[in-house]
Amino acid sequence: MNIVAELFVVTFKIMWSLVLAGAKWFVRPREKSVGGQVCVVTGAGSGLGRLFALEFARRRATLVLWDINKEGNEETADMVREIYRKLSPSEESSGIAQELPLFQPKVYAYVCDVSKRESVYSTAEKVRRDVGNIDMLINNAGVVSGHHLLECPDELIERTMMVNCHAHFWTTKAFLPAMLELNHGHIVTVASSLGLFTTAGVEDYCASKFGAIGFHESLSHELKAADKDGIKMTLVCPFLVDTDMFKGCKIRKEMAPFFPPLKPEYCVQQAMRAILTDQPMICTPRVMYMVTFMKTVLPFDATVCMYRFIGADKCMYPFLAQRKESTNNNESKTGI
Amino acid sequence: MMELKVLGCAMLFPLQIFVCVLRAAVRLLTRQKRRDMGADVVLITGGGRGIGRHLAKEFAKQGAKKVILWGRTEKCLKETCDEISLTGTECYYFVCDVGNREEVYQQAKVLREKVGDVTVLVNNAAVVHGKSLMDSDDDALLKTQHINTLGQFWTTKAFLPRMLELRNGHVVCINSILSLSSIPGAIDYCMSKASSYAFMESLTLGLLDCPGVGCTTILPFHTDTEMFQGMRLRFPKLFPPLNPEMVAQRTVDAVRTDTAFVVLPWTMHFLVILKSLLPQSALEEIHKFSGSYTCMKTFKGRT
Repeated sequence: MNIVAELFVVTFKIMWSLVLAGAKWFVRPREKSVGGQVCVVTGAGSGLGRLFALEFARRRATLVLWDINKEGNEETADMVREIYRKLSPSEESSGIAQELPLFQPKVYAYVCDVSKRESVYSTAEKVRRDVGNIDMLINNAGVVSGHHLLECPDELIERTMMVNCHAHFWTTKAFLPAMLELNHGHIVTVASSLGLFTTAGVEDYCASKFGAIGFHESLSHELKAADKDGIKMTLVCPFLVDTDMFKGCKIRKEMAPFFPPLKPEYCVQQAMRAILTDQPMICTPRVMYMVTFMKTVLPFDATVCMYRFIGADKCMYPFLAQRKESTNNNESKTGI
Repeated sequence: MMELKVLGCAMLFPLQIFVCVLRAAVRLLTRQKRRDMGADVVLITGGGRGIGRHLAKEFAKQGAKKVILWGRTEKCLKETCDEISLTGTECYYFVCDVGNREEVYQQAKVLREKVGDVTVLVNNAAVVHGKSLMDSDDDALLKTQHINTLGQFWTTKAFLPRMLELRNGHVVCINSILSLSSIPGAIDYCMSKASSYAFMESLTLGLLDCPGVGCTTILPFHTDTEMFQGMRLRFPKLFPPLNPEMVAQRTVDAVRTDTAFVVLPWTMHFLVILKSLLPQSALEEIHKFSGSYTCMKTFKGRT
C-alpha cells in the first residue's frame, strides 16, 4: 500500500480510538459476565487478592485461590463459600434460573509459592486436573522488603524480584497456551503506582513493579501482533492502598488530603469495573494519570521539584524506619 | 498561618516548575562545567564488546586514570584491554559474570585490593533472548533477569557504599528506550530493562542529597551492535540505528556534566509522551505502523 495512504489510515484510526475513548466517558460500557468462568487469583490470602476473590465470587465465578499462606487462603475460601451460599437461594426462587442448568460455582484453594517455578507449574497442573481450563488469571501476589538498598539482605531483594516480577513468567506460561488455543481469556496484572513512577528508598520494589508493567505491556503487544484479540489484558495500578503492606508511608502533610491512601474496597471496585469492561489500564485515583503524564513531559529537575512539592520523593522513609524498628523488635515477618 | 504557608507553596510551585524547565533549556544551549576525569577509576561491566568496548575507549580518551573491564568472555576483554593500554591509559580486566552474586562480591574485593576504589561504575552488561513469551526457555528468561537487572543491584551494592564514604562517585546505567516502550518478541529484555530503569530512577532520587555522588541513565534507541543484530525497523531512514561510538560519547559527556537521564535520539521523547497520552488501541496502531510488531522477526542476535 502507498505509504501516504497508510499514514492517513493510521491517523484516522488513532483519531477514532480517541473518539471511542472519549465516548466511554459518556456511555458507560456494559460489564461482561464472569458467571461460571474460572478465575485464578494469586496472593488471595490477604489484602487486595482477597477482595478480588470476593468480588469475583459475588459475580458467580468459580475461584481458584493461590497463596503461600495456607490459613489466610482457607479463610478467603470460607468467605467465598459464604458468598456463594447467600447467592444460591435467590437463584432457586427465581423461575428463569431454574430453566437454565443450575450452575453451582465452587472454590478451590491451593498453597503455592509463586516465586518457585516448579511450585507454580505443578500447582497449575493440579488446577487443570481438578478444575479444567481457566478463563481469568489475576497476577496479584506481591511482597515488599522494606529496607534501604544498601541495608537490604540480598535474599530479600531476590525474593521481591521473584515474587513481584518473575512469578508473572511462570503463572502466565502455565495458563497462556490453553488461552491461546481457544483465543479466549483475560490476564490481569496488579502492579502499583510505583510501577509508573518511583520514590527513593524502595529501589527493589519499584524495579519489580516496573518489571511487571514491562512484562504486561510486552505481552499485550505480543498478543496483538499475533492477532489474539480474544485474550484481554488489564493493568491495575493503584496508588498507596490502605493495607498493612506499606504501613507508615507518608506524603507531605499539607498534600495528604489530596492524595489520601486508597480504601482497598474502593480500589478493587474500580479495578473490577475496568476488568469487566476490558479496559487495558486503570490507575486509581485518576490524578495519577496526570502525575505520570507530567513526568514524561517535564525535564528531570522539574519532576524532582514536583515530587518534592507533593512530598513523594521521600514518602517511604517513615515506612522504612518503622519497618526497621519492628524488625529490631522481632515483630515483623521479613519478606512476607 | 499554616494555610498561608501552604498557599504560598502552591502559588510558588508553577513558578518553580517553570524555572526548572528554563534551566534545562539553558543547559542544552550553553556549555557547562564538566567533571575532570583525571582521578577517576572507571569500571565497565560487559566491557568486552558492543557499547561497553566503545565506552571504555571513550573514557580513556577523556582522560580517565584507570579503566577496568568486567565481562564473561576473556578473549574480547583482552582485546579491548590491549587496545586501551596502547593509548597509554592503565587498563585491567577481570572475568566476572554479573548475574552471579557471589562472583560480583568476590571480584569487587579483588578489584579493591589490586586496583583501588572505583569512582565511576558503568552498568552496561546486558543480554537479550529475543523470543516471545511462549517460545522462550525458562532458564533463558531468568538469565536475562539476572544479568540485566539483578547484576546491577549487586554491582551497585558492592561499590556504592565506598563512593558515599569518599563523597565522590557516579553510577551509570546503559539502559534502553525499550524500558519505557515495550515491543513484542523481546519480553525478557523489556521487562528487565524496565526494572533496571526503575532502580536507577529510585536510586537517583535517593542520592539527590548525597553530595558528590551522581547517577546517569542512558536510554538509547536500537544501537548498531551485534547484540541486536537482524532487528529491522520499517523506516530505517527516519530512525536509523544509532552508532555505538556516538552512544559512548554521549554517555561520557552525560557523566561529566552530571546529567541524570539521556534519551537517544531525542525524538524518542515523543514516543514516551504519546504513550502516556494515547489510549492503548491508538498506541497499537502506531506500533503496527512503525513496524515494531515485526522488527524482532528477523532478529538473530547473540544471546
